[in-house]
Amino acid sequence: MAFNSPLMAQLALGLVLAVGAMSPASAQSSLGQSGLVGTPEGITIVTDQAQWPKTFNEAPQLADLVKQGKLPAVKDRLPQDLMVIKPVKEIGKYGGTWRRGFTGPGDDENGNRINASDRPMLVDHTGAKVNPSLAKSWKMSDDGKVFTLNLRRGLRWSDGAPMTADDFVFWFEEIYSNKEILPVGIPDMTPAGKPGKIVKVDDYTVNFVFEVPFYLFEDLMGGDTLIGGGQAVRQSNKRSHGAYAPAHYLKKFLPKFMPGGADAANAAARAEGFDSWIARLHFKKDWTLNPELPVLGPFRTVQPINNAVWVMERNPFYWAVDTAGNQLPYLDRVQMTVVENLEVLNLRAMAGDYDLQERHIDLGKLPVLLENQARGKYKVHLDLALNGTDAIYHFNQSFDADAEIAKWLRNADFRRALSLAIDRKQLNETFWLGVAVPGSTAPGEALPYFPGPGWREKWSTFDQKTANEMLDKIGLSRKDAQGFRVRTDNGQRLRIQIQAVQAFLPWPKISEMVADQWAKVGIQADVRDTERNLAFTRTQNNEHHIMVWNNGGTELLYLFPRHAIPVDPTEAFMGPEHAKWYASGGTQGKKPEDPNILKMLELFTSAAGQKTDERIKTAQEIWKILIDQQYAIGTVGQSPALMGVRLVSERLGNIPSRNCIAQHCRTPGGAHPETWFYKN
Amino acid sequence: MSEAAKADTPFVTAAEEKVAAATQLQLTWWRFRKHRVAVISGIVVIFFYLMALFADFLAVTGPHSTDAARSYIPPQAIHWFDQDGSFKPHVYALKGRRDMRTFKLVYAPDPSDRRYLKLFAEGYSYTFLGLFETNRHLLGLDRGVPEDALFLLGTDQLGRDVWSRLMLATRTSLSIGLIGVALSLFLGILLGGVSGLYGGVIDTAIQRLIEILRSIPTIPLWMGLAAALPSDWSVTQVYIAITVIISLIGWTELARVVRGRFLALREEDFVTAAELAGASRLRIIFRHMVPSFLSHIIAAVSLALPAMIISETTLSFLGLGLRPPAISWGVLLQDAQNLQAIAIAPWLLLVAVPVVIVILAFNFLGDGLRDAADPYG
Amino acid sequence: MLTYTLQRFGLALITIWAISVISFVIIQLPPGDFVDAYIASLSASGSMVRQEEAQALRQLYGLDQPIWVQYWKWASRVAQGDFGTSMEWGRPVTEVLGDRLWLTVAVSLAAIFLTWGIALPIGIYSAVRQYSMADYAFTLIGFVGLAVPNFLLALIIMYFGFVLFDLNVGGLFSAEYQLAPWSWGKAKDLMAHLPLPALILALAGTAQLIRIMRANLLDELRRPYVATARARGLAEWRVIVKYPVRAALNPFASTIGYLLPFVVSGSIVVSLVLSLPTVGPLLLRALVAQDMFLAGTIVLLLGVLTVIGTFISDLILMWIDPRIRAGIHG
Repeated sequence: MAFNSPLMAQLALGLVLAVGAMSPASAQSSLGQSGLVGTPEGITIVTDQAQWPKTFNEAPQLADLVKQGKLPAVKDRLPQDLMVIKPVKEIGKYGGTWRRGFTGPGDDENGNRINASDRPMLVDHTGAKVNPSLAKSWKMSDDGKVFTLNLRRGLRWSDGAPMTADDFVFWFEEIYSNKEILPVGIPDMTPAGKPGKIVKVDDYTVNFVFEVPFYLFEDLMGGDTLIGGGQAVRQSNKRSHGAYAPAHYLKKFLPKFMPGGADAANAAARAEGFDSWIARLHFKKDWTLNPELPVLGPFRTVQPINNAVWVMERNPFYWAVDTAGNQLPYLDRVQMTVVENLEVLNLRAMAGDYDLQERHIDLGKLPVLLENQARGKYKVHLDLALNGTDAIYHFNQSFDADAEIAKWLRNADFRRALSLAIDRKQLNETFWLGVAVPGSTAPGEALPYFPGPGWREKWSTFDQKTANEMLDKIGLSRKDAQGFRVRTDNGQRLRIQIQAVQAFLPWPKISEMVADQWAKVGIQADVRDTERNLAFTRTQNNEHHIMVWNNGGTELLYLFPRHAIPVDPTEAFMGPEHAKWYASGGTQGKKPEDPNILKMLELFTSAAGQKTDERIKTAQEIWKILIDQQYAIGTVGQSPALMGVRLVSERLGNIPSRNCIAQHCRTPGGAHPETWFYKN
Repeated sequence: MSEAAKADTPFVTAAEEKVAAATQLQLTWWRFRKHRVAVISGIVVIFFYLMALFADFLAVTGPHSTDAARSYIPPQAIHWFDQDGSFKPHVYALKGRRDMRTFKLVYAPDPSDRRYLKLFAEGYSYTFLGLFETNRHLLGLDRGVPEDALFLLGTDQLGRDVWSRLMLATRTSLSIGLIGVALSLFLGILLGGVSGLYGGVIDTAIQRLIEILRSIPTIPLWMGLAAALPSDWSVTQVYIAITVIISLIGWTELARVVRGRFLALREEDFVTAAELAGASRLRIIFRHMVPSFLSHIIAAVSLALPAMIISETTLSFLGLGLRPPAISWGVLLQDAQNLQAIAIAPWLLLVAVPVVIVILAFNFLGDGLRDAADPYG
Repeated sequence: MLTYTLQRFGLALITIWAISVISFVIIQLPPGDFVDAYIASLSASGSMVRQEEAQALRQLYGLDQPIWVQYWKWASRVAQGDFGTSMEWGRPVTEVLGDRLWLTVAVSLAAIFLTWGIALPIGIYSAVRQYSMADYAFTLIGFVGLAVPNFLLALIIMYFGFVLFDLNVGGLFSAEYQLAPWSWGKAKDLMAHLPLPALILALAGTAQLIRIMRANLLDELRRPYVATARARGLAEWRVIVKYPVRAALNPFASTIGYLLPFVVSGSIVVSLVLSLPTVGPLLLRALVAQDMFLAGTIVLLLGVLTVIGTFISDLILMWIDPRIRAGIHG
């Protein structure tokens, strides 16, 4: 069985090395003293059928239902192609409610991630190896045009209906291809602009067929992408992606399968209080809102997300067991309580009101979180992320509202000088408590896309003197009375705006420190603390000079490129017009003039049809251009700032001592919450 | 009480003669002087406005100067006497490191490295009262830059001196209050005056407008307006706009007071006289009527100012008012509005002290003025 | 009297209409719309939303139409009592509000009773013992409550309540009662959570009330009838409580109307800091997300309540004070 894609195998190798000598940075060696950083560990999937359990157990509540005749016996609920999981430490026991905090209906990811195993393939705890999940195996054809998923035989939805290849075909034909639901296709299914299709081979075999070689598809299917992301995240909150959908349930809400067509569908929708059949469908296929919806993850919603408490209970047809034959999950339910602000969420976590919480926990509060460990009966873990930088300064390359500003934003030496002027050690100490790693935007040394030795440091070490010299040399030598460099067109002070949103990290504050450091080389930067919606609207409208965000996800450049290169107009901070141009195939937006950008885009396009080794080289090539040109300045990364500060109740068992922190690891879902349990 | 007193007094004493001859403002002043708390409050207010005026001079370090090596330093002890017992105020330089078990920053004073305080020391340069450039500050150190060793009220997360930031914040917030009140006052007197003077349809229309404005919850109104500000505006432009937004609500109360006064005054002889003499409406309002209830207005203003200041802090809290890098009381309070500040850097909360003092002072001052505004009462 | 009431009523209707227009406009003022806010929140989960999809969503919510069309649709639905569906919560506005309305009323009423319970006795005491040390002390404490930004106070009290007294952190229910249906235990749990938010909310209003009560009572105490009562040898507390206090309370009747909107929204900022499941934070969230129907309904509701409150106050005043009644026709 070909479980690992070659890329992921290399990733795995790299990471094992990385864990041994985590980082040369001194901050991280002292981090060892804290005892807060564990070693990555995770569940093991038992593939040797000889070791599979022969008899099965189930939760007492389900056993009662079986007795009452409301549920088939456990062995009939489990698939023939079992998923047998060896938990991190021990066989658990049934029972208990996992208490968490969430911020309201927009925080659906809080629960989506817990159900991360509802995708064909799921990355393991290293973030590098892809494990089977809904699919027991997969294969890419030699010509790169046909990708085959082999589904588990006997897989069932949470209502007991069989899950088959038909559910993939249904999604493709009735949802994805319906222009009223999804007006445009997705790049994941459209290599080189040529639409691919999904074809049923037999009940448990699905082919994804493309006209051109699309070797990248294997990575896409295994990543947290629109195609490979699974039902929970990709079909909630009005999204309609995710490769499959419960045909037997959703057909009822599609006009095509209703006797009266669209009119009847709309009438039925209005009778239920929806404005149209589309609105009704969006509701019905959303697992966070609709408790009736058949799902495949370990938990299903029983009280919807749009209440003060979001409650999930175990899926009685979940298709995984532990090595002793106990059907998972062990936990009875997940209960998330809404909070109106994050200070209260953090304080409640300290009070021990949550059993395991890593989402919305603030790294800046680490000293206080540690102080209250005994009182709240939890343990603090610091999980370090894989991405290059938590604060990345994107220079808008398509800015055109002010010719002078645009000229400097497009000047490579200007950007390099500003990067050299940043003292990353200072930022690390102040905002990351010294636990992160300074450097460029490039992924860590251990990852295969790492461009090579020296590229984490290139243009990314503190050198005020060189920065000053470079700025003098490019024509910004004139300064005003306060020592700030002036514009070349009118002699006024050159003022660059940094647009910063108070979101996952205190970016406005970080930027205040960066602005202070830039002031020392004579560049006046005005920090614009902007509300998130407004900031996104402005970037879409090409109005920003510099936008600061993080680059989590870019470590797998092809799966989540938007914060590295301007290809996805959704968040194209580096050049919204260029991203529009790229995404529209040249019909909208503006073509980049910078040959280096064109080169990067070309490399990116060609990578989809390249085999793994070649693709890795292409990615390294792109990173080299990115870092040499400094289109975006990296500061400090590989930190626990995003979901990496984890508070775990002392009562919980089978908790890995370190989580994988990355977009595709679906933290904490990649650690298989279905294997966690209460020890007492 | 006063009616009875007048009726019972057969003679006119010298003091009363003085009273009879005094202008209304004089009378108010005499009466105000008797209200001790109000007088003290008045002095406090003047003191704070002086502080605002000389903010840069009183600041010790550049308010935007950051350094990780001095993040979250607690307020520093000043040692008044040197080893030999002579009066030489000094501070010890600090050595800091991060404890990797608690992740807290620990600072230890280094008694061997003494820095003596110096008056009129050199520091960052600024424009003194908008007149000339200087780098002299009230306080400084005998050697090294004050940034490295002088932390009267401690430092914030970015290692910026809280004392210096507080000085500049005082200037911003107090002037927002003043400008806001001035705007409210202008609108209030104009619309309240017009309403009271003309009556009829105009009065009804203005009263409706006031009622509508007062019926809209302030926070959505602020949010809508603040979010609608063009985002490429500079800090100064935003500052002025925020002031205008705050005063948009403030004027209605003043307009009500003014209207009530006008309704009463309209019937007075001197207004009729002025009208007969052919004075214009505007002249009647500002030349004749306003002075006759000036003291009421002063009282209303000093009660409106604290509301403005609180509004500014609330707006900043909601992320709608002034945003960093601007420095105001609201911005500084926002910095203290998190658990780590309360738990490990509680000195950031000290910023609330001047806010409380100023609001109290304005309230007592306003009370005193209001009592005094009815000099015959 | 009747014509005046009708006239006032008519004007109130016009005001309400104006409020509905203004509330719709101020919600629209910030650039972008709900779909922009939605996309911004989606992008956090790594999703990609293209222009075409955004356009489809706008169509779904009717956001692709001109603003006056949107207003007309909304207003005509509201006039029929249909407040629409909250875009963010995906549930009817009335349901989303309904969850929180009663809790808000409970918190607000607790705060109001606490305010009055503290302020009136202190006000009376301060008036009777004018310029005593206690008078100064109470006044000062009251004013400090007024002067301290109460959002800051809320977080501080909550943190130290947790650290020193192991108090519950934020919210109005313990975890075990969050889901439970209403029961005696749940009510007791609510009662245990109420004092902290009520106290913080009360602090701000107390100073104002003390001041008014003290001033009113001082005025009354100077009146001749008080002297007469004293001369007749009535016990001092009787002299004070029997008439002057009652008279001094009269003006409060007129402020009852103004309490209405407060009762429904609570203090928005303090509720946010304390994470109370009340209407205030809901409104803030709806405004940020540009959830037009929800935000519009709340703003409109608060506006209408203010208008009703003012109307009631006027009626009460008229009823108390015949001079106003006479003045109308003058």
